[in-house]
Amino acid sequence: MRDVREIIREEMLMRDRVLAVLEAGPKTVPEIAVALGHPSEEVMFWVMGMRKYGVVVETEEEDGYFKYQAAAAGGEH
Amino acid sequence: MSYDILVVGSGIGGMESAIKLGDMGYKVLVVEKDSSVGGKMILLSKVFPTLDCASCISTPKMAATVNHPNIDVMTYSEVEQVQRVQNGQFKVRVRRKPTFINQSACTGCRQCEEVCNVAVPDQFNFDLVARRAAYIPFPQAVPKKAVIEKRGSSPCSFTCPAGIKAHGYVALARSGKFDEAFNLVLDSTPLVGSLGRACYAPCEGQCTRGGLEGPVEIRRLKSYIAERHYNAHPQPVTLTTAEPKGRQVAVVGSGPAGLTCAFQLARQGYGVKIFEAASRPGGMLGLAIPAYRLPREVLDRDIQNVTALGVKIATNTRVNNIDSLQEQGFDAVFLATGTPGNARLGVAGENLNGVIGALEFLRRVNLGEDVNLQGQKVVVIGGGNVAMDAARVAARLGAAQVALHYRRSREDMPAHGWEVEAAGVEGVEFHYFSAPVKFNGQDGQLNTVELIRLEPGAPDAGGRPKPVPVQGSEHQVAADLVITAVGLVPQAAGLADGLKLNPDGTVLVNTDTLQTAVPHVFAGGDVVTGPSMIVNAVAQGKKAAFYIDRYLRGEQLAGVNYDDRLPVVDQKEVMGRQQSYSNLPAVGTKNQNGTNMTGQTSAGSVTEPALTEAEARYSAGRCLDCGVCSECSQCITTCPANAVDMAMRERVEEVEAAAVIMSTGFKLFPAELKTQYGYGTLKNVITGMHMDRLLAPTRPYNSVLRPGDGKVPDNIAFVLCTGSRDCTVDNQLCSRVCCMYSVKHNQLIMGALPLADVTVYYMDIRAFSKGYDEFYQQAEAMGANFVRGRIAGIDENQDGNLVLQYEDIANGGQTVTAEHDLVVLSVGMLPNTDAYGIFSGESLQTDDFSFVKEMDEDIDPGRTSIDGVFVAGTASGARDIPDSILHAGAAAAQAAAYVERARVKR
Repeated sequence: MRDVREIIREEMLMRDRVLAVLEAGPKTVPEIAVALGHPSEEVMFWVMGMRKYGVVVETEEEDGYFKYQAAAAGGEH
Repeated sequence: MSYDILVVGSGIGGMESAIKLGDMGYKVLVVEKDSSVGGKMILLSKVFPTLDCASCISTPKMAATVNHPNIDVMTYSEVEQVQRVQNGQFKVRVRRKPTFINQSACTGCRQCEEVCNVAVPDQFNFDLVARRAAYIPFPQAVPKKAVIEKRGSSPCSFTCPAGIKAHGYVALARSGKFDEAFNLVLDSTPLVGSLGRACYAPCEGQCTRGGLEGPVEIRRLKSYIAERHYNAHPQPVTLTTAEPKGRQVAVVGSGPAGLTCAFQLARQGYGVKIFEAASRPGGMLGLAIPAYRLPREVLDRDIQNVTALGVKIATNTRVNNIDSLQEQGFDAVFLATGTPGNARLGVAGENLNGVIGALEFLRRVNLGEDVNLQGQKVVVIGGGNVAMDAARVAARLGAAQVALHYRRSREDMPAHGWEVEAAGVEGVEFHYFSAPVKFNGQDGQLNTVELIRLEPGAPDAGGRPKPVPVQGSEHQVAADLVITAVGLVPQAAGLADGLKLNPDGTVLVNTDTLQTAVPHVFAGGDVVTGPSMIVNAVAQGKKAAFYIDRYLRGEQLAGVNYDDRLPVVDQKEVMGRQQSYSNLPAVGTKNQNGTNMTGQTSAGSVTEPALTEAEARYSAGRCLDCGVCSECSQCITTCPANAVDMAMRERVEEVEAAAVIMSTGFKLFPAELKTQYGYGTLKNVITGMHMDRLLAPTRPYNSVLRPGDGKVPDNIAFVLCTGSRDCTVDNQLCSRVCCMYSVKHNQLIMGALPLADVTVYYMDIRAFSKGYDEFYQQAEAMGANFVRGRIAGIDENQDGNLVLQYEDIANGGQTVTAEHDLVVLSVGMLPNTDAYGIFSGESLQTDDFSFVKEMDEDIDPGRTSIDGVFVAGTASGARDIPDSILHAGAAAAQAAAYVERARVKR
């Protein structure tokens, strides 16, 4: 696993790419990871950082995974 | 200020001691290193065995501490030194760290956090999620005020002579905020595009990433930012300017210094007119720099940033006498005429047709005159950047041969290495240790150059070997054109009565204020410094505007702090923040400033390719955020309370106290030391503190999820005694809390995730206090599976599940494997030794385990080896919360008794 500080720093870089993936509809972290081509554990940092600052929100749970979608309002986007 | 008791640390122990003492009427000072009181307890989910909400218990104590009439609290502060003085008191030195946010004005709205562009690990969530450089530590923080983590100036920003916030615009570009990035640069200079294209980028030379794969391509990022903005905004976006001041300033010269000064003064409401001798504005930017390095449309659009503010530019207008400007109604003058003259070689034949100064050569080309070099032999004399520009332009104009002669070695050349390299790619020949002796011609027309070989001689005044001629090495080469580039000189003589010049012809100024010997005349740029970088001239123009404004407002110039940048951050400290770095190579497959690597040289039309948006964001993403805060200014513009104060600086306060209570808490065992458990490498192995955060109402995720992929775990293992009672990690002590907090987690998980299986691997369960055993029994009754066995190793499956190997003690001791989808390592407490060294002249003794030693723990709890210094809570040993509170009460009583005894003695 890459250094946590390095992964977290990239949240700002990855934010728009995550949102672009979510334009197709709510997705789980592994689904976003596949779409981005990045490991799930890295996507977890980015999605949870975005959630903390109101950029994405969780929707329903499916097969043990929550799905996330772009926040309708709030955050910077 | 004098206090009865100083309490160091504001965890539950510190708060308890302070409140008790405050209630008794003692004047107490609490010093806390973080920006909120509360310590670790406020971060917990619930407390055992009652399962009361930790926040519900902590927050009233936090509020009571901060609002108590007898307690002063210094948050975001650290005790540096405690020294006993003659009256028996302690003199205490406290370092108040700058918060960069006015704590009185901050409303805790978090808008600064939301716009901040720097993400760092959130230590209050134990790195499970990001926080921002601007942050409030946690939702229940007391005081609930934001702070900005700013470790110093980032090297790029600190190095920029013009004070352009390079880190800031890189961070904005990383976030895709390109217009905001443009505006940040524009705040310093209108020449955003020109610097993006042609700056020599000293910022990149200091970039910490340069120690890895190469620096962040800061200049090219600026170029991308500028040209993207210009494509979207062919005309300047209206800038807010100050109310007109009714004062007029003349700027003589429209180079980078003049344009920047005019721009800054116009923004402040001054009427500004620029006088330019040439037929078009821009100075050296337009006349000397080849268009392949700085496309004219970029420069023209930069200049529009100035004229859009109402600045008038009079071209073809040479100012021969500055004194006349005052008569024309100008209240101040900024002299920025640059270095328009070529230094002469002083060799015979320099006046022949075919011998030309580099500046004149470049000027003719840049003004579109017909300069045809097809098939000609060109000799360039010099080794600086202007020589490189001239040689490369000659090559691009079709010269059959371009030979550059320089009197020293390549290593001594003042030109940048990449320019020399690019010139070589374009076919320029280099001749080192070679100098002209004479230019020969016929009928006034150059035809040959007589050159001589040189060799290094004795060191000159600067310590470099002085080139000396090699006797008999004279030789002649044919030449159609000689371009001399051996220096540029100012032409400022006679511009004004009273104007004083230096021996080299530059204008003498007060280097602090740029004011000349004529009070209303300021000067800057190359006319003051001699030939220099564009960004140095920009810096001087910006600085001159600052002082001209003060001069015109009648304010004092001397002693004003113009440049208040923080000291540069230590790059070793920056690199030490990470254990490892990924290889992130720079985009730069294309050469800098002008050529592609095919060596194309025709027509001077090849310009540097622009970055794509993806390349720009990738490049910005390589930034290491050296200073942490990037100074992007987004928080400043967003804060509704106008509370951000970047001028804030660290300060030291001294107080006195009669007694001290050390309540500095504990550290958690670093689980990575138990390598067989895989913490730090196996993504679904976490610690007990992580689980507490996941279960807390202010959790970092939306539920209890495993960090590897966001799965809701349904089979969770706890490994007790991780790093406790373990001689292999030099910690034989029982943690005293990990059994019970794990049992607490068991119960909470079974409440939050009713379908989840919970297994606890233990050596023995230590349920020693009131209600603890019942609490344990309750967890077992709820379905927690307690397995007596020590874990030997943990491996990870492809799906992220974890396979544990353990000795099943209760069933014959065979080795068994079990699979779980999340493993929690129940780590224990270690002493926090950070503050032990604050005592000057006296030593705070520690016990065998490095906790603060209590001299008689049984009958005199809290008393340390230093008279008048007491210890509270987990600073003296591992304790649970009730014991910490009890101990803190004892320490408070000890301190109160000590203060009273001291009073009686006096």
